[in-house]
Amino acid sequence: MAVMTGEDAAPISLTGGRAFRGNLTRIRIRWVIAGLVGIFCIVGGRLVQLGAVVQDTSIEGRSQQEISASRPAILDRNGLEMAVDIRVPSLYAEPRRIIDVDDAVEKLRTVLPDLDAKWLRSKLSGDKGFVWIKRDLTPEVEDRIYQLGIPGLDFLTESKRFYPGGPEASHILGSVNVDNKGIGGIEQYMDGSGLAQLQSVGLAQGQNLAPVQLSIDMRVQHVMREQLLDALTRYHAHAAAAVMLDIHTGEVIALSSVPDFDPNDPSSMIAPYNGEPRMRFNRITAGKYELGSTFKTITIAGALDSGAVKMTDRFDARFGVRFGRFTIDDFHGQHRILSVPEVYKYSSNVGAIHIMQQWGKDNYRAFMTRVGFDDPLPIELPEKTTSYIPKKFADVTAATASFGHGISITPLHMAAAMAAFVNDGVYEPPTIYRRSPEQVKALAKRFISSQTSLEIRELMRLNALEGSGTVMDRQAQGYRVGGKTGTAEKVEHGRYSTSKDFNVFASAFPLDDPKYAMVVIVDEPHREGPTTGDTAGWNAGKTTGMIVANVAPMLGIAPNFSKAIDDQLVPPSIR
Amino acid sequence: MIRKLNIFLMLTSAIAFVAVYGLKYSVEEVAKSKHELERQIEHQQADLSLLKADWSYLNQPGYLQPIILRHADQLSLQPIKQTQFGSLGDIPMRPVQPDTDAMTALFQSLEAGVDPVDKPIGGK
Repeated sequence: MAVMTGEDAAPISLTGGRAFRGNLTRIRIRWVIAGLVGIFCIVGGRLVQLGAVVQDTSIEGRSQQEISASRPAILDRNGLEMAVDIRVPSLYAEPRRIIDVDDAVEKLRTVLPDLDAKWLRSKLSGDKGFVWIKRDLTPEVEDRIYQLGIPGLDFLTESKRFYPGGPEASHILGSVNVDNKGIGGIEQYMDGSGLAQLQSVGLAQGQNLAPVQLSIDMRVQHVMREQLLDALTRYHAHAAAAVMLDIHTGEVIALSSVPDFDPNDPSSMIAPYNGEPRMRFNRITAGKYELGSTFKTITIAGALDSGAVKMTDRFDARFGVRFGRFTIDDFHGQHRILSVPEVYKYSSNVGAIHIMQQWGKDNYRAFMTRVGFDDPLPIELPEKTTSYIPKKFADVTAATASFGHGISITPLHMAAAMAAFVNDGVYEPPTIYRRSPEQVKALAKRFISSQTSLEIRELMRLNALEGSGTVMDRQAQGYRVGGKTGTAEKVEHGRYSTSKDFNVFASAFPLDDPKYAMVVIVDEPHREGPTTGDTAGWNAGKTTGMIVANVAPMLGIAPNFSKAIDDQLVPPSIR
Repeated sequence: MIRKLNIFLMLTSAIAFVAVYGLKYSVEEVAKSKHELERQIEHQQADLSLLKADWSYLNQPGYLQPIILRHADQLSLQPIKQTQFGSLGDIPMRPVQPDTDAMTALFQSLEAGVDPVDKPIGGK
């Protein structure tokens, strides 16, 4: 464009026009740049937006990691698996990615014909991101479905708990629910002690969890459970339970309580037994009972240890002891003057009361606290109960408590105390896990002196040779078992029943070099035959003997019939 | 100059195009084989876990005992009794007198150059 300034003047607009055009181009370029930058901004923004979208990968409220999270294998003390994880493929679909629903349904039903076509079609159509089609498939079925090549179908490996022993160790292991969370037993304990956190952050994957070793010996566990089931049928009993401890370490070698359940089917936990609900609980840790005359071991051990009573002391058991209207008398009445070993051997209630009275009822109460009967059990199993022992003993409660009535503790409390009494008087808190020698040393606690421990062992063996443990000893000949029976009448409607008993046998073996302590309980047993009795020696005692006879060879205890051992164990002075 | 540069750039972009195309497909290939391998590993781990579970099931005392009871008659198996256990002390000592005659015969035959390994003493 020219700008005319005069008629003869030459146009001087050339540079101006070029500049004008140049300006225009620059402006256009600027617009284009602005436009392009704008477009790129939009594209970039969209990319950022897409990147920021959090894909919801959770499946029915659980992350994929949680579903495939595994639990550590549980081994017994010999390395035999008690619980393992199996990896099972589960088929799921993403309906929004399925192109031809009818085709997919048809193909899928060639492999899984039991799926309903209509149900499958409704599952596969729609805009859902995730639906389960079928869970717990076998690898072969997985392969065949994979070969079909249907888009939108995929597999997720789920961890499933499998207990190869079935119900063998049910009360120790507990079980897991469908979400692989522990419900009861050691499984629940493991969740509480950090496994649940590991799983939620995804660290518990595949085979990378170290197996957990328990103190249980599955062979002993099996024998114990078999014998208890036998006892259940043999005595038409309500229930039976037993626990065996390694006295030196406090490790539980076997623990069984029948009726029990199958951990592979957690619903069996609450299934009624013989029409009665709440029967399948762990009677060893979660049941408290009046353990009857087995308490005489506690009474005598405490009294001897205090020095107030000596083995040679004699007690008048000619007459019952009167408390107001009540008279306490003996079941196997001797009605004469008895020495301490005789009180134990004949299980004299009157004798036990006199021993306790000579010692002092407050001392007796304090001794119960000392042997840990007040405290809850230090065992890992979540199913446990606390004892019932009055804070302060009145004369009559102290008297009944001296032979195990009017106070309740769990059978495991009794087993741990018996273990301590024969382990040179040193207590080890019971555990389900393996325990190292250092831990054993750190946890050791003295209950009674070595001398008293020796005397208690003498009494226990004496009772097996001449007292209420003879039926037991006949079964376990040669294994130097000793123990005390306890026959308690069950409380029914607030009073003691004369027909329903609760029988206990607390034992240890081999008594010349004690290694194991055991408590067996039989709830409401009946006579085996017309020639047998129904007191504890006949059922709980016999069961103890049969268990020992079976497991002693497994535990490396050789039978010894030498009379010299018994002569040394039970000196003639106390016979 | 510009022309040459343009030709060069066009060639580069053509090559880059082909290379990216190829790369894309090879990556897809690798991803596919990776997925395949992962699936195979998962599969084998699942198999392994099942086999392990099987093995531990077959080793359970509760599984073995019924089998033993079932075959107790054929194999004449019986629970061991306490009285059947022995100790080292029960085993009699070796006979005090060694069999000197046999030893002499052996040495004599060796001296005579006849190795009893080749030709047992006493014929046969």
